[in-house]
Amino acid sequence: MRGLGDLESAIMERLWSYRRPASVRDVLEDLRREREIAYTTVMTVMDKLHTKGLLRRKAVGRAYVYETVASKEAYTAELMRSTLASGGNQAATLVHFLERLTPEESTALEAALKVYPPGGRA
Amino acid sequence: MTAAAVLVLYAAVATTAPRGPGGGAGRSRWAERAPRLAIAVWLAACASVVASTLLAAFAVAVPAPVVGHRLAEFFEVCAMLLSGWRAPSSPGAWAALSFAGLVVARVVWCGAAVLVEAGRERRRHKEMLDILGRHDGELGAVVLDHGEAVAYCVPGRRGRAVITTGALRSLAPEQVAAVLAHERAHLRGRHHLALAAAEALSRAFFRLPLFARARSEIARLVELLADDVAARGHSRAHIAAALVRLATGPAPASALGAGGETALIRVRRMLGPAHPLGRGERLAGLAALGALLAGPAAVVAVPGVSSFLAHHCHTISIF
Repeated sequence: MRGLGDLESAIMERLWSYRRPASVRDVLEDLRREREIAYTTVMTVMDKLHTKGLLRRKAVGRAYVYETVASKEAYTAELMRSTLASGGNQAATLVHFLERLTPEESTALEAALKVYPPGGRA
Repeated sequence: MTAAAVLVLYAAVATTAPRGPGGGAGRSRWAERAPRLAIAVWLAACASVVASTLLAAFAVAVPAPVVGHRLAEFFEVCAMLLSGWRAPSSPGAWAALSFAGLVVARVVWCGAAVLVEAGRERRRHKEMLDILGRHDGELGAVVLDHGEAVAYCVPGRRGRAVITTGALRSLAPEQVAAVLAHERAHLRGRHHLALAAAEALSRAFFRLPLFARARSEIARLVELLADDVAARGHSRAHIAAALVRLATGPAPASALGAGGETALIRVRRMLGPAHPLGRGERLAGLAALGALLAGPAAVVAVPGVSSFLAHHCHTISIF
């Protein structure tokens, strides 16, 4: 299970770095520089990524070429947005540190922290 | 019938009172000193109200004299009600039992819905984390490339702590360790289950004041509890400093909360020395817990037991 997640991650990383569409063959050759891997495995995982909506593809000749739907930064931002916005569903993800201190509060607390320097013993 | 009335009255008052029976566990100081006990009291308060409602319906359906008078007859009634072979004797009893059935069904339904939704969301989230984040073995957490300083955890199977590069940049290494200890305390303590229970009950009972407050209080108390657990292995000053650092500066674009009340309480708690409850206070808390859980059953049992005693005393007086 972990292995498959790793492969998804590796394939997405490759496609993000290319910044252009790539076929399963292109990705396979790239991956083979680091590990032994079968064409069908890569094809299956890329098909799965397409189903998940992370890759889009179009047919070129007899094969598909794939490209990422959005940048890694955009996906991360979206993940953070949905995580933080779902503050209502805390049973799913426990997000804390959402509250912001007012500038006065944080100044007062920073002063209090100086009394207990973080480097010192508590 | 009296027992039923008492229970219904209790449930009604407890549910709608602004403070609720867990009111003692509200914003009071002892709850902040013993968050684990306070979470238990809130959950017990909710369970107590639900149990009262169910037992009230039961008390209406099964008259007290039957319970006390002839135990055999009582079990017969129970068996009859459970097997559903014969309809309950009166329309009132029938209505009471259908009501109880509806309550149980709604709690089960909402509980399942909350678990399924949360599970699905977590699975999707973990899939994305596998692709977007990298696991840092040394930190024991997933690191996400993101400018905003955020730390959180995704509980459940293969639960994980997550921290953004923004947070790693703004925190000293000891503070990072303290924050991640806090996250792991959530994971290890299965705090999400307490939150799921509170959410399910709140949803099942239309966010009535008691259940809504239990939910928001438990969400707050699990944070205090995780701070306490983290403080066992990390300096309280580091935790406090990390809290201030993460709660200062611009809010994450999509975060909701503006006020820093809980953050303020947490920092103050960490800066001061720990004040665990004394033995007397702890016993009082446990007694409250016991009363909330056993109280409703006791109210139902009293008429049954007294009529049972009356029957026996009567028998004895004949001889």
